[in-house]
Amino acid sequence: MKLLVCIKQVMESASQLKIHSDGKRLCTFESTRYEMNPYDESAVEEAILIKETVDNTHIDVITVGPSHAEDVLRRALGMGADDGIHIIDNSNDFCPPIRIASWISAFAKDRAYDLILTGIMSNDEMNAQTGPMIARILGWPCATAVIKEDLSSDRKSIAIQREIEGGARDVFDISLPCVLTIQTGINTPRYPSLSKVLRAKKKTFTTIEASQLETLRPEAVLDRLVLPQKTAQGIVLEGSALDKSQTLLDILESKGLL
Amino acid sequence: MTEHIAILVEHDGKKIKPATWELFAFTEHLAKLHPAAIHFIMIGEATRNLAQQLSTQTQCQVIAADIKGADTYHGQIYTDAFTRLLSRYPATYIVASHSTSGMDMIPALSIALNGTCITGVENTDKEDQTLYFTRAVSGGKILARLCAPLASASAPLCLTLSPGAFKPIAPDKNAAPDIIHTAVECRQTAMIYKERLASPSLGSNLTKAEVIVSGGRGIQEEENYALIEALADLFPRSAAGASRPICDYGWAEYSQQVGATGTIVSPKLYIACGISGATQHLEGIRDARFIVAINTDSNAPIMQIADVCIVEDLTEFIPLFMETFQKRKRPAD
Ligand SMILES: Cc1cc2nc3c(=O)[nH]c(=O)nc-3n(C[C@H](O)[C@H](O)[C@H](O)COP(=O)(O)OP(=O)(O)OC[C@H]3O[C@@H](n4cnc5c(N)ncnc54)[C@H](O)[C@@H]3O)c2cc1C
Ligand SMILES: Nc1ncnc2c1ncn2[C@@H]1O[C@H](COP(=O)(O)O)[C@@H](O)[C@H]1O
Repeated sequence: MKLLVCIKQVMESASQLKIHSDGKRLCTFESTRYEMNPYDESAVEEAILIKETVDNTHIDVITVGPSHAEDVLRRALGMGADDGIHIIDNSNDFCPPIRIASWISAFAKDRAYDLILTGIMSNDEMNAQTGPMIARILGWPCATAVIKEDLSSDRKSIAIQREIEGGARDVFDISLPCVLTIQTGINTPRYPSLSKVLRAKKKTFTTIEASQLETLRPEAVLDRLVLPQKTAQGIVLEGSALDKSQTLLDILESKGLL
Repeated sequence: MTEHIAILVEHDGKKIKPATWELFAFTEHLAKLHPAAIHFIMIGEATRNLAQQLSTQTQCQVIAADIKGADTYHGQIYTDAFTRLLSRYPATYIVASHSTSGMDMIPALSIALNGTCITGVENTDKEDQTLYFTRAVSGGKILARLCAPLASASAPLCLTLSPGAFKPIAPDKNAAPDIIHTAVECRQTAMIYKERLASPSLGSNLTKAEVIVSGGRGIQEEENYALIEALADLFPRSAAGASRPICDYGWAEYSQQVGATGTIVSPKLYIACGISGATQHLEGIRDARFIVAINTDSNAPIMQIADVCIVEDLTEFIPLFMETFQKRKRPAD
């Protein structure tokens, strides 16, 4: 089996957020830390679980991003992926999902993958677009929000459960090759192992300059990032923690909620 | 030539889902900014009755096709059928809900129709003849404003609307129905629907609770979930809930998950501890009558909807509050 997992580097979720003066991106600070998009960690883990049960499985991981995005490739290799591909885009421009999907599918097209995994969405942009777009460009079937998968014994199809509203699951049999977007809870992503991390350190990745790639499809255009207008109707409790807990008690009492 | 806005209908074979009425509210707003005729497109096993009801109620045209197996969402059938229908009945704006089905099909549709795609839209506005669409990024702490300046019937903007962003409107016009019943050839083999499995949250005690105290990633450690349970225990008819990550970590059961893919709750009091307020979580508490948020971050989106906001570390505040509570209950001690 040949698997491709799409992984994105994102700012840690607790990062300080400030809109850059150009209005099109977020500022980075000395304190800014990056991590692998959590949904993509589940996707990498799921690929490794497949590799552990199916002989001769090879896992490629691919990322589109600036130079420092290669850290997520190393992390994925530390977890157990085999090779990394880095589409280097240092432009700092807004990169719509269609562009990322076009680049990744152009790379994947003639490489005989059986399965492409992505996260259900990226934590920073929250598009939930890239996976289904890759599938459509390649003409492959796709299931999003996958919470369980099970390869058939002849390796020609995969049984999946996709999560729907309320947490119910729809079960499908999908023929390979296909694209699955992974929902958290499907597994518990492992920590990279020391030996694999050391090996990953020496590894060279396949690199492709984004500037050499075509982008021919129509794209949505980012006008600017803005802070949400505060519409809060609620009250913010003031004072010491003890004051706040007294006030909360008063409020709950007066509302008859105790 | 009149321009069109197409609403992709969500239904379960028996009823139009509320998400469709949210889409209708949104498109009415959109059509005020950009004059266009609204029509509905629906597929299902037997669409006749629902199509009639939709058209009568809204006075809009409904384009409907009967397809075997289309009463439940099937990625391949839906994308295929909608692509064909939208090629025959083009629209400049194609809107679906940011639901588990809309999310699945809209990106693919945008490619099939050579259009653009914007997901999770919360609002639209017009400036200098251009329509802008805002959507949440970074967990709702920032909004991105996007446009698709070249949107047209031959390169439509395909978008999904964030649930809850618009209040559903279901008009009652009693108009003469305007329906186009059409057939689409839709054979697929690459994806076979098997069955629906029940949610692990089925029968959750959250649905009956009058007070729910929920913990999110802000609890930081598994042991701290005990604080959430202890706080819940102070109240009669209460239950402890959790955000999805807490259930994914195994710190709480999935039957305790509140939100779009967990349980929708409607308690008198909801106390959200260390929960940021992601849209999927908020979808679960829209009917909560009184919301208290305890969070170290005064900018967390949950603070925008809470009735009482407490900016504190929950690991310190909850024990303190419990102590205050006990003291007041037993003033003689
Ligand atoms: C298709 C789909 C369906 C989903 N369905 C659901 C669902 O049903 N339910 C659900 O909950 N999520 C769901 N999610 C996940 C959702 O998008 C969010 O990722 C999740 O709700 C975030 O959980 P959280 O608020 O606990 O964590 P975070 O967003 O990480 O927030 C943690 C919060 O804790 C605060 N905090 C940190 N330390 C402290 C402290 N010491 N004291 C007090 N506060 C502190 C932080 O300021 C932050 O606001 C879904 C996602 C997808 C893609
Ligand atoms: N820059 C990127 N590089 C690699 N994969 C990506 C990138 N952006 C998005 N993806 C993949 O697409 C999924 C969905 O992202 P999005 O469409 O941005 O919500 C992510 O979970 C990743 O698996």
